[in-house]
Amino acid sequence: MVSVLAARGATNCIRLACPYNIAKRPILMKRNTLVFSAVLFILAAFAWAGWANWEYRRQAAERLQASAGQGEQVPDSSGAPQYVPALLGKPAPQFTLEDLNGKKVSLASYKGRALVINFWATWCAPCKIETPWLIELRNRYAAQGLEILGISADDIDRGDPRKLNEEKRGIAHFVQQMQMPYPVLIDADSISKPYGGLDALPTSFFVGRNGNIVAAQMGLTTKDDIERSIKKALANYQAGGSAGQQLPEWN
Amino acid sequence: MFETKTGSGIALAAVLTLSAALAQGQRPLVDGAGRQAAKPAAVAYLYPEQVTVPAGKPSVVALHFRIPPGLHINSHTPRESELIPTTLSIPADSGVRLDGAVYPPGSEFALPLDPKTKLSVYSGEFIIQARIVATAGGHLVEARLRYQACDNNACMPPKTITAAIDVIGK
Repeated sequence: MVSVLAARGATNCIRLACPYNIAKRPILMKRNTLVFSAVLFILAAFAWAGWANWEYRRQAAERLQASAGQGEQVPDSSGAPQYVPALLGKPAPQFTLEDLNGKKVSLASYKGRALVINFWATWCAPCKIETPWLIELRNRYAAQGLEILGISADDIDRGDPRKLNEEKRGIAHFVQQMQMPYPVLIDADSISKPYGGLDALPTSFFVGRNGNIVAAQMGLTTKDDIERSIKKALANYQAGGSAGQQLPEWN
Repeated sequence: MFETKTGSGIALAAVLTLSAALAQGQRPLVDGAGRQAAKPAAVAYLYPEQVTVPAGKPSVVALHFRIPPGLHINSHTPRESELIPTTLSIPADSGVRLDGAVYPPGSEFALPLDPKTKLSVYSGEFIIQARIVATAGGHLVEARLRYQACDNNACMPPKTITAAIDVIGK
């Protein structure tokens, strides 16, 4: 670049029939510095854009990984979105929670049974629609080894006994009103992370007798969908039992 | 020669603009610590950002909020006691007191799978008329709106958003 500009300067001098003017050198050098700075700036801009792109891709990959952990919505055969968590086919995450009487209940105590782990809340209108379906299906399939664990996602203030009692009373009122015959546990929030965040209610996980999650649903679907998932959990139970396979431990 | 300089300048400006645009478009989805960015709230505060009110006297300020299509939140007076009402509050130490609020009436809404049960909800844009009393001076108030949002099939946990308003008491 510098040599080209110097040559141009020399050509001008020839055209003007004058020797190369040394006085013009500072101007030429100033121009060269400017051009050099501009090129350097452009290169820096490209490097920065490249870094930003790389950073963006890295963050997108992290986001993808995080969303995979939380499950995703995919359409089923009817086109309705279904919740397919990363937990599908994996053991249901262990937990021990209290029921409304303060008794500790652990998932491990249901070893060998087909289970529906149903997360709900008193403030969730779709849960109110779903609960009678669950009760009906539980009564229909209980003899085949099905149990439902209802886990309330209502806020729990452990630091304030008066408030805690009030909250428990609210949950108990709902349980009584809906005539829920199955165990109801509280403080879903404490186990929300291993269960994918529980960003929306109702959310249900269907667990086969071997302790693995065979289906999951987020949001209100239909009674038929729930029954299909229950049958999957029971089929897992029957296959495990009839084939005489060694059932893995829950813990 | 001057043309060459001008050309370089334009090219440089173009590159910088493009780079800046790229950077803007690629605003991180996770924060600096690598955590996933917070999920967008179901309710957004729209305006006003700044109000001037007479100091020491109750003044009514209309606060505008928006709920995206497909979602609804309970009104201030839901029909069932278990449902969480939408409520506005202002922190006590902000120099501005919430003297009262007039909430819009809820619209009647029923979930498609339970058309008989009517809910009282807000959807789209809604306005809360907040009656505030400000002391003299400028106060950056972080008003809080607590709500619980649902769509036709699922509900999200209750949430509290902040509405930042610059209140000038004169």
